[in-house]
Amino acid sequence: MVELIDGSENVSVHGIFNWILLLAIFSVITCIGNYIGYEHPIGDSLVGMGILSLITLIGVWMERKLPLNISSIIYISVIGIIIALPIMPTSSFVLHYVSQVELLSIVTVFLAYVGIGMGKSWNEFKALGWRAVIVTILVIASTYLGSAIVAHIILVLTGVPV
Amino acid sequence: MRDNDGQVEHIYREKTDRRILRKNPWKDVRLHGTVLVLVVIAELIGTITIPLSHDVKITIMPLIYTIILGLAFYLVKPIKWIHRKQARIAEGAMMLFIGVLIAKLAVSSGQSIALIFDMGPALILQELGHLATILVLPIALLLGFKKESIGMTNSIGREPNVAVVVDKYGFNSPESRGVFAIFIIGTVIGTIFISFLVTFSLSFLPLHPYAFAMASGVGSASMNAAAIGPTLAAFPGMETQIEAFAGFSNLLSFCVGIYIVIFVALPLTEKMYNWFEPKIGRDSIVKTKEDD
Repeated sequence: MVELIDGSENVSVHGIFNWILLLAIFSVITCIGNYIGYEHPIGDSLVGMGILSLITLIGVWMERKLPLNISSIIYISVIGIIIALPIMPTSSFVLHYVSQVELLSIVTVFLAYVGIGMGKSWNEFKALGWRAVIVTILVIASTYLGSAIVAHIILVLTGVPV
Repeated sequence: MRDNDGQVEHIYREKTDRRILRKNPWKDVRLHGTVLVLVVIAELIGTITIPLSHDVKITIMPLIYTIILGLAFYLVKPIKWIHRKQARIAEGAMMLFIGVLIAKLAVSSGQSIALIFDMGPALILQELGHLATILVLPIALLLGFKKESIGMTNSIGREPNVAVVVDKYGFNSPESRGVFAIFIIGTVIGTIFISFLVTFSLSFLPLHPYAFAMASGVGSASMNAAAIGPTLAAFPGMETQIEAFAGFSNLLSFCVGIYIVIFVALPLTEKMYNWFEPKIGRDSIVKTKEDD
């Protein structure tokens, strides 16, 4: 529990300011990529990124402020699902702008940060040896193929048309 | 990771907080400028499709360029402005940016909530498909791993799984060493590997588009991101459904996946280990390494 308390102490006004600016930078880069790759108007996609950033901000803030031990990923998912539900008044506004941001544009920027960040693990990675690499590759492949095949069987059994 | 004994569950949040909240990570022009350049280059090149035969094709997407170029920028010596500091900020910032990705998927899920309820059985049961990792255990044994193999093959070995294994076996146990190895290797090659795996699966396996979408929720946001890319490209016109299933199955992996690991996968992996190890176990390679 100690680390939980430590975590929430860090959330000062200053900290939230850092989050907002980082999300703003991320949004701008994503919208530029989104414009080059898919020619969506930058203005509309910025509003879309603004909505997504706000959901993220609330989720991350809730994880640190609420006394529950729940990951921000779950808060963010639940908020995102609720505001987009067809019965919600927010739905048409949210869908209009968020649809202007292609998922792949977000992914492309996100993975650029992942690429730079994972360079740091490179030395540890090299020390592990080829045997562990083989096991990792097989583990990833089996988890993916396992769930794809199970999902396919259930979809066919329940008669979902392709 | 190792300087955080016993607090593995929150290592990421702490790291993120330390790097994001106490410094001014947005000021790092080198990092964000580099990312912008990488993204512009990647989007300008665009998706490359290589046809292998008339209905089998390989798709290489901008997301592959940015991840490989990002890693290359860190590793290649002549590039002097991307250092450990930038990598640390990138790693911290990444944990915040995952949120944006998850939010986008969640909006698609909310929009398609009726469809998600219709596909409920498949969505829930495919989580059990992740148990297929245990099938790798005999191979790990043949390669000379001992108890490490339990940590290696019980799950995909991402943050929550590391926490579970360390919690159960202790920080310095062979099982934990195994899961750390999978974690580190998965961090470096997992994203690139899964995007190629998905591309090949899409070409060679005649599965339902929804099955591919659901399977991409493997319990790691970056691998999920890399897996959705080729799937979206393979089924044009189904973007919203694919995003909805991918997002929801990732959410399920986060909520119930961890309990499947604790109550099903780990006990099953141990049983498999006890059964297989006397039959095919080799001399431990890890032990000889330690003796050197």
